[in-house]
Amino acid sequence: MASVLTEEDWKSCFTQLGPALLLFARRWTHSRVEAEDIVQEAFVRFWRRQHSIENRALLYATVRSTALDRLRRDQRRARREAAVARDGDMHCEPQFTDLDESQQLLAAAVERLPDEQREVVILKIWNELTFAEIASVLEISQNTAASRYRYALGTLRKTLQPHE
Amino acid sequence: MNDFSEIEAELRKLRPASISQDLHVRVERALASTVSTAAVLSRPRRRGNLWWSLGLSLAGASAFVLLGLAFLEEAPHPTLPNVAQDRSTPATVAQPNDNGFRPDALTRVVYQRRDEGLIFSPNQSEQPLRRVRYDTRETMQWRNPQTGASLRVSYPAEQVVLTPVSFQ
Repeated sequence: MASVLTEEDWKSCFTQLGPALLLFARRWTHSRVEAEDIVQEAFVRFWRRQHSIENRALLYATVRSTALDRLRRDQRRARREAAVARDGDMHCEPQFTDLDESQQLLAAAVERLPDEQREVVILKIWNELTFAEIASVLEISQNTAASRYRYALGTLRKTLQPHE
Repeated sequence: MNDFSEIEAELRKLRPASISQDLHVRVERALASTVSTAAVLSRPRRRGNLWWSLGLSLAGASAFVLLGLAFLEEAPHPTLPNVAQDRSTPATVAQPNDNGFRPDALTRVVYQRRDEGLIFSPNQSEQPLRRVRYDTRETMQWRNPQTGASLRVSYPAEQVVLTPVSFQ
């Protein structure tokens, strides 16, 4: 049974999960401000429904559905975002901090991954979800999630090999 | 699978950008407003209390109306047999009319009774009278037995009853 959480619990939880949630939300928008809006809306929606914070998969699913709702709400903006992405300006705001040279290369490689691979990597590495949870969040099979993950890591490893 | 352990370790060293202080404040505000709203609107127990008090209010109102109706039904003076409520077919209009409608019912409901006290004739020659005024609503209904159609007419009416009073 889900335990009742106090406001302080939620604050500390948000402090802990916020960066990874924000990273996940960047999947649907290339603006940090909009990603923050998504995270805020999703987190508050999750809180209102009194879900257990142990249910991480549901929290990320809420972020995803919130982002998709916002995209549907503002199709024009979505098209503009897509145009910006095509122009190659999508990574103007860094998603990672305190990077040395090799980490900058790795971060850039992560950002260049196809969206469906990058979101699996983000959920697996920085949110520590299992493949079953990732499958639940993204509404795909576990095999597909694991396959995308392996494919993404293979790509990243190749990217780093010349610099090692 | 173990081939990826090195790249996984490298990835875990990357630190996602932290959330801004502004987002912290916004979420905090939103959560606070959610708490205060939930306290007012969504607490199940409070909602139960609301329904409970609404039910009690309705029951009280119903009882009041029933008592009022009972009082009004008892209100007519005993010497006025037809006043309170009467549902009968008036004998005087019992003949069917040209349209095939027959008188079906006459209902008279007294909703107010006012006792206006004793009245005396100017020359004091006659016995004093007690005057009681009744406000009523009368409803007449006709029915066509062949077609099943019915016609109902309702109108307010006032009736004054004078009762001789004898002093002993």
